[in-house]
Amino acid sequence: MSLFGSGSSSSPDSSKEVKDTIVKQLQSETAMNNARILISKVNEHCFAKCIPTPGSSLSTNEQTCLTNCMEKYIAFWNEVSRTHHHRMGLESKKMLL
Amino acid sequence: MDAQTQVDVSKLNEADKKELSQILANETQKATIQQTVHSLSDVCWKKCITGKITSGRLDQAEETCAQNCVERWMDANLAVLKHLESLRG
Repeated sequence: MSLFGSGSSSSPDSSKEVKDTIVKQLQSETAMNNARILISKVNEHCFAKCIPTPGSSLSTNEQTCLTNCMEKYIAFWNEVSRTHHHRMGLESKKMLL
Repeated sequence: MDAQTQVDVSKLNEADKKELSQILANETQKATIQQTVHSLSDVCWKKCITGKITSGRLDQAEETCAQNCVERWMDANLAVLKHLESLRG
C-alpha cells in the first residue's frame, strides 16, 4: 500500500496524525500530478521530434534521440521555471512599491 | 497515492484545521504556478527547440531563448491586462 513510503497503514487517531496524513497525501498527489503532466509533455514533444515517420520498431537513432530529448526537455522546464520564478519575484516587489 | 488510508476529519481540532487550510492554499498556489510552467515550457519549446536534437543538454542559444520566451510571455501577459484595464475606463 505504502508505495511511496508513507509509513503506517493504521488509521490516524489524534488531530496531529490526521493532519499529517492529509498533508502527506496532498503532497504526494501533487507530485504525482506534476510528474504525470511532465511525462505526457515529454512524450508529446519528443515523439514529434524524434519519430517523424514511425517504422516497424524504434531505431537506435530514435532511442538516442528520445533519451537526449527527454533530458533536454527537463533541463528546458527547469530553465523556464527558474526564469518564471525570478520574474514573479520582481513583479511582486514592484507591486509592493 | 495511498488513498486507502482512512482519515477521520472530525478528529481535527480548530488549530490544525486552520493550519491545514493554510497548507492547502499554499499547495494550490504552487500547483497553479507549476501548471503555468508546464504550459510555458510547452509554448517555448516549440519556439526555441527547432533543430535536430543532438544532445541532452541545453546549449547557450536554447537557454537564452527559453529565458527570453518566458520574459516576453510575461510582458505580453501584463500588456494584455493593462490594455484591458484601460478599456474598462
